[in-house]
Amino acid sequence: MKRVTRAGAMLALVSILNACQTSPSPPGTPDPVTASATSHDKPAPAKPGITPEAARNLANNCFTCHGPNGRSPGSIPSLTNLSAYTIARKLKQFKDDDSFSTVMGRQAKGYRDAEIEALANYIAGLKK
Amino acid sequence: MEKFTRRDFLRLTGAGAATGALGFPLTLHAEATANKDAKRAHVVIIGGGFGGATCAKYLKLQEPDLNVTLIEPDKQFITCPFSNYVIAGFRSMRNITQRYDVLEKKHDIQVVHDLALQVEAAKRKVKLKSGKTLSYDRLVVSPGVDLTWGAIKYYDPVTANYMPHAWKAGPQTLLLRKKLEAMRNGGRFIIVAPPNPYRCPPGPYERASVVAHYFQRYKPKSKIIILDAKDEFSKRKLFVDGWQKLYPGMIEWVPGSKGGTAKSVNISRMTIETELDTFKGDVINVIPPQNAGRIAYMAGLEDATGWCPVNPMTFESKKHKGVYVIGDAAIAGEMPKSGFSANSQGKIAAAAIVAELRGQPPAEASYANTCYSLLAPDYGISIAGVYRATPEGIKTVPESGGMSPMDADADFRAEEAKFASGWYASITADTWG
Repeated sequence: MKRVTRAGAMLALVSILNACQTSPSPPGTPDPVTASATSHDKPAPAKPGITPEAARNLANNCFTCHGPNGRSPGSIPSLTNLSAYTIARKLKQFKDDDSFSTVMGRQAKGYRDAEIEALANYIAGLKK
Repeated sequence: MEKFTRRDFLRLTGAGAATGALGFPLTLHAEATANKDAKRAHVVIIGGGFGGATCAKYLKLQEPDLNVTLIEPDKQFITCPFSNYVIAGFRSMRNITQRYDVLEKKHDIQVVHDLALQVEAAKRKVKLKSGKTLSYDRLVVSPGVDLTWGAIKYYDPVTANYMPHAWKAGPQTLLLRKKLEAMRNGGRFIIVAPPNPYRCPPGPYERASVVAHYFQRYKPKSKIIILDAKDEFSKRKLFVDGWQKLYPGMIEWVPGSKGGTAKSVNISRMTIETELDTFKGDVINVIPPQNAGRIAYMAGLEDATGWCPVNPMTFESKKHKGVYVIGDAAIAGEMPKSGFSANSQGKIAAAAIVAELRGQPPAEASYANTCYSLLAPDYGISIAGVYRATPEGIKTVPESGGMSPMDADADFRAEEAKFASGWYASITADTWG
């Protein structure tokens, strides 16, 4: 039972951290997200509140149907050669039922816009 | 000099707190792991199905220097997904057989074809049938389900040769196919459907559908009866609607409240005894109640339900530190027991293990599932879900997921059938490729 509470505490901690990152910084302090995105030459910079590891966890959900790293061996469209902007825009259209889909509307509704942007950045940043 | 007591030692090392509920010193082991190069740690995975194979591959993708051993008795893996189409005669066994050579050669995973018999979690060791013992730093247990023999009276490994379950794909799949091929036109095929929870919730109803497709073409006077322990099942409205359109009058479903629950089997009379009646069949498929695979029980990972409680953020066992349980054997909240769920959980467990070995907290978990069912080769339906870890377990993200629309046209159903094939190609490549 102890483990349950620890998991709960961890979740709470994660949400606090996320909240900290998204809350506006006092004037004069550098934005930690922008600072790290510019000072390191990292692919797929994470959106505020979503760590690169969390973005990877979100994006990994896509590969079960769209194939390893988005390269589909079958009839489901590949995600390779799509820009982060295109992936994110399409997912938001599916989410808002602005674009026809069989299953993607139901999937896209499971993600916040910020999460969609983070996973789109991750997928577009993968080695081709 | 002051006397240095055992209590002081525990306080200083923090071992006192860590020992607490579990009764063995976590801190001492954590130190041992930290002293080792985290990258060189040994992760042993029991079970090479959708969960275990995915976890092995994603561990190596994230941490290529990690030493990963996958223990799987079979040289090749025959998937339960798409095995209904072998039973219905429009896919071959070769189509549903997966190999381990890419995991071995491309991803540098040691695949050991052996059976795990026992886990000593306190010593971090796994005993194999061959007599070998493996030491691990982290263990992943992905054993799938075992059939609960005897839960339906006289249904056991012997009577299963006469009334196949075909719920673990392989020889049983072919046995059921042969019996259906040999059945007379006008015969009665009985499917006994299990109580929740079980592997592949829509599976029994998809099986009824695709066998009806086969009957319609080759044995059109035949009937199918589903004797169910439940009063509701996955995608029921879509299935029943499809059955009326495609196979009117061919499939009858008897729910638990109307006497559908099977109590015993009789192989000489070819009958199923339920609470209210006796049903005679020409071919009988018994899908019995299920529980977590045997090794989960041997390792002490199960609770009283017969399934394994896990931390919803990481899939680490709530029974043993350093052991992760994924796939059908785990209690995964609102996620169904499916190949997709196991694949999704395998990725999160891999990420959590790598994070822990690096001394980092786990990243936020996200899970997904999409299950396609065919009612005919060109008629597909699906159910989907997106899930998050919450302190109360794994929950569906509100407003996400759900079933294919009820009012979709034939083109939509055909599109989903096409995507079902694409789904199989992709998930097997993501898992074993």
